Amino acid sequence: MLLLQLLVSGIETGALYALTAAGFALIFGATRIFHFAHGATYALAGYAFVLASRLGLAWPLGGLLALAVAVGFGLFLEAAVYRPIQRHHGAFFTVFVAAFGVVIVVQSLIELSFGRAFVAISTPLTRAHEILPGLYIAQVFWVALAIAIVIFALLGSFLARARAGIGLRALSENPDLLRAFGLSARRLSALAFALGSALAVPGAVLGAATTGLSPGVGAHVMLISLAASVVGGIGSLRGAALAGLLLGVVETLVVAFLDTQWSEAAGFVVLFVFILFRPSGLFGAAVAR
Amino acid sequence: MTRITRRTLLAASALPLGGGLLASRRARAEEAYILGTLFPMAGPNAEYGTIFTAGAAMAIKHVSADKMLSRPLALRAEDSEGTPQGGAVGMNKLVNVDHALYVLVGFTGVSKAAAPIGTRAKVVLVNGGGVGPDLAGLSPYYWNVIPLVPDEIKVLTPFLIARKLRRVALIYVNDPFGNGLYKALKTDLTAAGGEIVAADAISPTDQQFSAIAARIRTTAPDAVYFASYGAQQAQIIKQLRDAGISQPLLTYSGAAIPSVRNLPEAEGLTLTAQAADWTVDDPVTRRFVADWRAQYGSDPTPYHQNYYNAVRLFALLAQQLEKAGKPVNGDTLRAALLATRRFALVGGEGVFDDLGDISMKIVVNTLKGGKLVAVG
Repeated sequence: MLLLQLLVSGIETGALYALTAAGFALIFGATRIFHFAHGATYALAGYAFVLASRLGLAWPLGGLLALAVAVGFGLFLEAAVYRPIQRHHGAFFTVFVAAFGVVIVVQSLIELSFGRAFVAISTPLTRAHEILPGLYIAQVFWVALAIAIVIFALLGSFLARARAGIGLRALSENPDLLRAFGLSARRLSALAFALGSALAVPGAVLGAATTGLSPGVGAHVMLISLAASVVGGIGSLRGAALAGLLLGVVETLVVAFLDTQWSEAAGFVVLFVFILFRPSGLFGAAVAR
Repeated sequence: MTRITRRTLLAASALPLGGGLLASRRARAEEAYILGTLFPMAGPNAEYGTIFTAGAAMAIKHVSADKMLSRPLALRAEDSEGTPQGGAVGMNKLVNVDHALYVLVGFTGVSKAAAPIGTRAKVVLVNGGGVGPDLAGLSPYYWNVIPLVPDEIKVLTPFLIARKLRRVALIYVNDPFGNGLYKALKTDLTAAGGEIVAADAISPTDQQFSAIAARIRTTAPDAVYFASYGAQQAQIIKQLRDAGISQPLLTYSGAAIPSVRNLPEAEGLTLTAQAADWTVDDPVTRRFVADWRAQYGSDPTPYHQNYYNAVRLFALLAQQLEKAGKPVNGDTLRAALLATRRFALVGGEGVFDDLGDISMKIVVNTLKGGKLVAVG
């Protein structure tokens, strides 16, 4: 029963990892911008939700506020930070340093506004109940699972069928050709940031209720998103989603066999295994040298 | 012949300027007694830095208002990040750049990294937050104004046995503090007829504890003890409770911080801490508590008390040395401490032993409505 319990916990964690990692992968896949501040988006969305909760707003309104903050932040970064750097043909490293600076600024702003302490939302949704002897499941498990399935289904359909979705997929391949089809690379880039940032919201909202938040939470989220993107295949949305789920399950299941300290490391062992034996990741295209 | 370049000229002209800056910095340092703080000011343990600093700041205000010393006190802060690396880097800067002669420190790992640097430079370190067992007698220049965790465990063990909480599961941070606590708890609990039924080591950066909760549930303990610090403590409590762990949760004084006190899931938490009796009727305590309530609108915590006491201790020792016409440095401060031993501090008379450690009464508390209520 311990294994089943750990599997359930792992799926819950992994579903949230998957959504956040997919957001990073979507942005990177479409724009080739190494959006290191994706973790900051997660933190801002989570704290916006906490603020809404403190103001007594209902969960859906809190979720909408978190969504507005995340999308607004993503669009702001795209327009005010990344686009000027790209206009001046800034190197990958310049983008990384700029994003890293943004992360530090956001963390400091959160510390100034909310203090440095841990914050969480208490809700009966996260209280586990014994549904089978030795198996405890909280309602938030079903919520996380349902949200992940619905969002990935909608996103998959959008990217496969909608004109803008197809444009997003084409953006990273040939931005010049996009213009020939009457599509704006600039608008598509903004769309990628809006969608990618929005994908961080469910994880941030449910994270505020399950694990809680601290101003530095973004760093951990970014680490997971990066690992999932590499394991899933750089730029692959479904790869990142599946890898996020895999990392969540692995870091939880490992506790059944090894010391608990191996939990976080286990995810990165998976990462190293992929780097060594399948560097293109689960769904990445192999590149000939 | 050496070629004189523009760079050489620039460097040469900057030398007097740099020397001047250094000289003026040193002159300022001579004007004031420099006290350093080596607290975590960012990251998951930053909450402690804010608390520790507030206690020290109020003491400086009182010392200045009372004109206890001929020279003012100046505070220089370094962010230890709560890590040994941060502690070593910060201590080096406080000693070699800021010329601090008395450094306030917290956290076991930070203390163990900073103490050798303090010992070499004969700079006194005073700990009011770390409770690891190794901190006793760490160095002649390292003193504790907080009782250490073995003292807390000694008080907790009979409490547990009396309440038939013999089988204890332990979650502990794998660092000098956590390992020391594990050893002390195992020794005392086993000797008292109890046992540790599970011991899960975690990293200070871990954030997911649902898997540990599942593993602990299989051992059916009577109680769960966790030894962590900062934001992680609240995460552990919340996730254990959410995962259906209904057994009593136990911990040490490190959990007496607002983020734990204000957590609904922490209601009923049992924790040991030094007795914080704000009704003690002595002028030092009365003034501290009254001013604290006036400034912050709430009661102080033992951490505020400890760092207030740490600064007050310096003022009392330096005052004694000034009156005797002696210089104020690590050696004279230590000699004065060992010669005097008893000081009027917040909470009553503070008595120091040969190692420079204070003795204080420890009590078992339960968290009720965000407040600590003594139960044993």
